[in-house]
Amino acid sequence: MTRTARSGRRLAAIAATVAVLATAACSAPVQNKGDDSAAGGATSMLIAADNGSPTFDRNFNPYSSGKRNTTTYMYEPLVIINEMSGEETPWLATGYEQPDAKTVVFTIRDGVKWSDGEPLTAEDVKYSFDLVKKHPEMDLKGAWSHLKSVEVDGKTVVAHLQDEDVPAAKILAQQLIVPEHIWSEVKDPVTFTNEEPVGSGPYTLDEFTPNQYTLTKNETYWQADKVAVEELVQPAANSELDIVNNGYDWAYAFMSDVDDTWVKADPENNTYWFPAGAAISLIPNMTKAPYDNVDFREGIALALDKQVIADKAEQGYVDRASQTGLMLPNQEAILDTSIPNQGYVDQDTDAALASFEKAGYTKKGEKLVDSSGKPLKITITTPNGWSDWLQGVEQVKSQLTAIGIDVTVVQPQAAAYQKELRTGDFDMIMGTVGGTGQPFQDYNGLMGSEFRLDIGKTASGNFGRFESAEADDLLAELKVTTDEAKQLEITHQLEQITYEQLPMIALFYGGSWGLFSNKNFTGWPSADDPYASPKTWDSTPLLILTHLKPAQG
Amino acid sequence: MRYALRKLGLLVLTLWAAVTLNFVIPRLMPGSPADAAIAKLAQNGPVTPSVQAAIEAQLGVPGGSIWDQYVTYLNNVIHLDFGVSYTFFPQQVSELVAGALPWTLIMVGAVTVIAFVLGTLIGIGAAWKRGTWMDSLPTVAGSFLSAFPYFWTALLIVFFLGYVLGWFPTSGAYSATAVPNLSWEFLGDVLYHAALPAITILITSLGGWILGMRNTMINTLGDDYVTFAEANGLRGRTVAIRYAARNAILPNLTGFGMALGGVVGGSLLVEQVFAYPGVGYLLFNAVTNQDFPLMQALFLMITVSVLLANFLVEILYGVLDPRTRR
Repeated sequence: MTRTARSGRRLAAIAATVAVLATAACSAPVQNKGDDSAAGGATSMLIAADNGSPTFDRNFNPYSSGKRNTTTYMYEPLVIINEMSGEETPWLATGYEQPDAKTVVFTIRDGVKWSDGEPLTAEDVKYSFDLVKKHPEMDLKGAWSHLKSVEVDGKTVVAHLQDEDVPAAKILAQQLIVPEHIWSEVKDPVTFTNEEPVGSGPYTLDEFTPNQYTLTKNETYWQADKVAVEELVQPAANSELDIVNNGYDWAYAFMSDVDDTWVKADPENNTYWFPAGAAISLIPNMTKAPYDNVDFREGIALALDKQVIADKAEQGYVDRASQTGLMLPNQEAILDTSIPNQGYVDQDTDAALASFEKAGYTKKGEKLVDSSGKPLKITITTPNGWSDWLQGVEQVKSQLTAIGIDVTVVQPQAAAYQKELRTGDFDMIMGTVGGTGQPFQDYNGLMGSEFRLDIGKTASGNFGRFESAEADDLLAELKVTTDEAKQLEITHQLEQITYEQLPMIALFYGGSWGLFSNKNFTGWPSADDPYASPKTWDSTPLLILTHLKPAQG
Repeated sequence: MRYALRKLGLLVLTLWAAVTLNFVIPRLMPGSPADAAIAKLAQNGPVTPSVQAAIEAQLGVPGGSIWDQYVTYLNNVIHLDFGVSYTFFPQQVSELVAGALPWTLIMVGAVTVIAFVLGTLIGIGAAWKRGTWMDSLPTVAGSFLSAFPYFWTALLIVFFLGYVLGWFPTSGAYSATAVPNLSWEFLGDVLYHAALPAITILITSLGGWILGMRNTMINTLGDDYVTFAEANGLRGRTVAIRYAARNAILPNLTGFGMALGGVVGGSLLVEQVFAYPGVGYLLFNAVTNQDFPLMQALFLMITVSVLLANFLVEILYGVLDPRTRR
């Protein structure tokens, strides 16, 4: 449509408005945000990376939980870890070494400058660690649950750990680094909103209004030659209607019927990639019967057709999850090939009934009953309003009902659900498991005795209160092993335990919802080239932003 | 005077009750603000134990005994200090409310006044010409339209006028690139963005005013003094406006007072559908995120304005109708 036609129609619309509101008439040239998109220039990019609710507040403090998502496009970590594969890309550090299991040595990259022109030094790195030690509220990566002290040695930063703790290196590597010369002047870094961010990343903040902000390319960026996009435009309002309507280049959103909405809006250019995230699972409460019985848990797993559940929950966008807890296919490299069928547990009603029988439940008529003839009843908890999970749970319910179990679904409000999950106040509860791509963190969070607290106490991991001396020994060994072959071997054993003892019943993979347009820029991550998750927060977007190329033609 | 004082005493008592309830109710909700914040993050994927710990440290749990919390709360309410929002940490609640209130007051407030004036006038016309098309058309249309739920009308309007036809923006209070200022250009932009939510509220609330006014007025028209005025040969319009409508408007006026008091609460569903940055949207965010400080400030503001509006209407009633003073 032509420019004049559109403004003419808009004038008509304004006139209608004015008539309705019975106010003085006026004709104002109104800018539609669609016009600001990269349609012409191909140097600017319209993104839906950050959602105002409904407007933006100006918070670019990288250590604040309420920060703008794009803060991490300005502040960088030492190493970026692709959580889907565990692959590492050296960033502000050119690499790290672990001379022993209690020490990590990061070599800081030369020639990196802050956006105000000051050089980034090893002192800044040490300062950033010390800052979050002083303010534990800001320690979002949990660095100081591993660290004892940090010191600078020339161009390296040496981290001394509390214990022999090899996996800690990956946690420390993700620490975001801020400039000491600016942050040392800040009175209260916790409530500091950092309205004029000075970072080391590829972008700096340009204009900011509560309705939209823009980031422009940092010309002195240490790998400026890899950054093709000159400007990122981020509007506050990005409902699904806006995303389909306004020609975005990159959006992160769950889109119903994506082929008929997003792709249809521009069939030649619009693509999407919804890779597998952490496994969404049923977590049994293993402090009480019958959930503490591994035969019972196996019966549940065998009774369910997880692909049907996945299709119901996520509209066919994701696949069923492997019972190993790994995110397949991206983590295939560390999968133990001796586990049958890649750890996928197929539905097998006869085998399920056999397992239930071992657990003491037999079929009587249509129902499964225990030895005293009482029918088997279970309650599944899922948060209210998370409609995809609820769809999945409803499918679980109908499949379990078919095999003879009475299932009740309860849906507390999200906050209450979180409390019940953490305090162990459930029979079986929906939850996500793993997802960091780092075997120690993922399996420790699932089975580690470190997180196992009594029922009623607020836990932050191992919500099902799984108990296995074998798993604990393996985790303890994995924690102190620097030998990579040995690490892989232990990881395989942990996969075996997860597969055989079912500390959770894996259902389907949570999706990541990346919508991309090839109109102005190409090189988006995809199933063929899964170099980064499509997510728009945390540090992996830096991989994407340094990977894009202008579209040809 | 004694009447006004008695009403004032009652106002103070209800205010205290409202303020106290406002303290108690959010605390009865299960789960802590940290739980709510973690649950929100968990929708995007698993939340590592370290993030959970940091969020708990950031948001904390209300400290001290319930009584101490209550005393601190009362003291803060008097000073209009509602603390820091949990959801939009570290923003001040008062700043958030101040940012949202103008949009609601302008959009919802203007529409409420327009709907009242328009509805009442149409109601008068309908009653005066009762039995003709001028009566049946607005009456039928009014009851038809006011039977639609707000959000449904809103969704239809946003889909057809905003998406399919593309005549109006589907979200926001002004264009993304506009900077708020006092110019015709910006004002036009604001009106353009307010159009769809305003039309929605107008459509769904107009019917009530029309029907209310028409029905009371028809009763009044049957009264002897109206017949007397007509028999005296007064002009039709004089009888309709100065005799009948003036008496019939009282119930509508009460409704108007209460509606005005409710304006500060915004229009939750409509603001939600159109992503309009008003109080209703803020309230929705506060409730879904267990944001106690923000919720308390908003509920308090809504309760106080409804109470004040009621108080003013009662005083006005005392002036208009001497019988209520006894």
